[in-house]
Amino acid sequence: MIKNVIEDKGAISSSYSIRFMREIRVAWAIAAKDMLTYYTKPPALMFGILFPFTLFLSFSIGRNIPLAQQIPMLIAQTLFFASSSIGPVVIPMERANQTFDRFLTAPVTLLSVLMGKTLAGIIYGVGISIIPVIAGVAFFSSQIVNVGALIACFALSSLAFSALGIMFASIPGQTPGQVMMPLNFVRIPLLFISGIFTSIGDLPAWMQAVSLLSPLTHTVELARYGLGTGGFFGPVINIAVLGGYAVVFVFMSIRFHILNQRKE
Amino acid sequence: MDNAIETKNLTKYYDKLLAVDHINFEAKKGEIFGFLGPNGAGKTTTIRMLTGISKPTEGTATVMGYDIQRHPIQAKEQMGIVPDISNIYNELSAWDNLVFTGKLYDLPKELRETKAEELLKMFGLYERRKEKVQGFSRGMKRRICIAMALMNRSSIVFLDEPTSGLDVQSVLIIRETVRKLNHEGLTIFITTHNLEEASQMCDRVAIINRGKIAAIDTPEKLKRTVQGLQSVEVAFATSPVKALNDLKELPSIREVMKEGDKFRLFADDPSNVLASVWNYSQKNNLKLITVNTLGPSLEDVFVNLTGIRPTTEEPKRSAQNR
Repeated sequence: MIKNVIEDKGAISSSYSIRFMREIRVAWAIAAKDMLTYYTKPPALMFGILFPFTLFLSFSIGRNIPLAQQIPMLIAQTLFFASSSIGPVVIPMERANQTFDRFLTAPVTLLSVLMGKTLAGIIYGVGISIIPVIAGVAFFSSQIVNVGALIACFALSSLAFSALGIMFASIPGQTPGQVMMPLNFVRIPLLFISGIFTSIGDLPAWMQAVSLLSPLTHTVELARYGLGTGGFFGPVINIAVLGGYAVVFVFMSIRFHILNQRKE
Repeated sequence: MDNAIETKNLTKYYDKLLAVDHINFEAKKGEIFGFLGPNGAGKTTTIRMLTGISKPTEGTATVMGYDIQRHPIQAKEQMGIVPDISNIYNELSAWDNLVFTGKLYDLPKELRETKAEELLKMFGLYERRKEKVQGFSRGMKRRICIAMALMNRSSIVFLDEPTSGLDVQSVLIIRETVRKLNHEGLTIFITTHNLEEASQMCDRVAIINRGKIAAIDTPEKLKRTVQGLQSVEVAFATSPVKALNDLKELPSIREVMKEGDKFRLFADDPSNVLASVWNYSQKNNLKLITVNTLGPSLEDVFVNLTGIRPTTEEPKRSAQNR
């Protein structure tokens, strides 16, 4: 009898592992399709690439800061904007032509669908943000002094910001603009409290407390630690806060989409 | 278990609007089940609940024995869905659309490629498989959409207005395919505005009106429920303008409707009508070119049950047509 129970448990565990692998494959298929279909859509190019590069240029040109020190700012901005732009582009467009319904009628969980969408945002953000790193090292004498910090910066930030975009995409709009607008109300103010344009050390104490709460602060700081230009809060706090935001945003994005489906 | 679909008190509210009102019906395995109703009657809402897109406010639905709420994955593995809009990826090729659908159902690579090839050939689109579907006609997109619904080894296919607004060639291909799939054992759940199509294709139909099932039966049995609606269809070589009013005045005629170049005369006893119409044509020097006696059509049943003539009536509750 004990043998039977063990065999049953083994079968259940094996069935769960088959299910899990299946969900992973489907999530990857969704991410790959999104990459192929939406990466070159005008809203993705505009909000994911043009917007952060233009913002960077408008604030950096004419300032007396060496380019090597500005590279972490650019990395943080591109990670922030590119990762968080895919969900708000993909999901409203799929809602408009009802292709999102395909996922709801397929034998997969909503979690896998949203993980696929989040993965598409992560890859977009990382793919765009790696360009300033390469350019900085190749042309502006930047040096990667802390690979771990840089990896943590890319991994946690792209996950957190991609999930942020997916969370906002639960707003029931049918055009990217309907989601981008409220998202930008959050994204743009964060630029000014996250130590991108002004060093956090130069801010008053209450502003430093506010900037501690911004996830973007920790992306900038980890990028700075990675490229050896220093930070304010320290990498442990950066990783802890950013990791916390990643978990919260992923959880809330799933929760909001479940609530949305209930209203359908 | 003989039923492919079973609903018990299936209900859907959108805020305070009651879209589907405690409906109960069964669709048997292997049959073509038609779901008819005017705009806003709750057809699409019902399909959305049966396919797991929308959650019922109340009641249950099982598809191939699986409760769609409690066992959604198992239920969805059994079904293919063709929504009212062809929801395909315009940026992808016909081939990629099918292969991606195969990936959503986690079909092995070899199987999904074999299936994609087989289906594209079946729908006459294999030669154009590498083209992006955004350049395809509406009918071709519809065929791709149906092919995508058949990618998994489904036991039941839901078709929401599959032939609405399509060219004749696509309509014929789709009808033929639906019949063929049904002969192969697939259960078909179809919603349509086209009552003639439903009458020709469906083993049984349910008529839904204002969120409630008004009738369920075979098309022929439903027609028998309005047996009083005997009619005679006549056409003259040339019809005078006043013909409609004149015909209404003839003895034993209850109602006259003009349908294109023909008149449809409703009466309890069509044999009396024939004599009256003959006399009328002689008296007015009109040449009779068509005389047919007609039994009630599914459209008559529909009108009788819903009070709505489907081809002319404006949607009254469009908010429900979701």
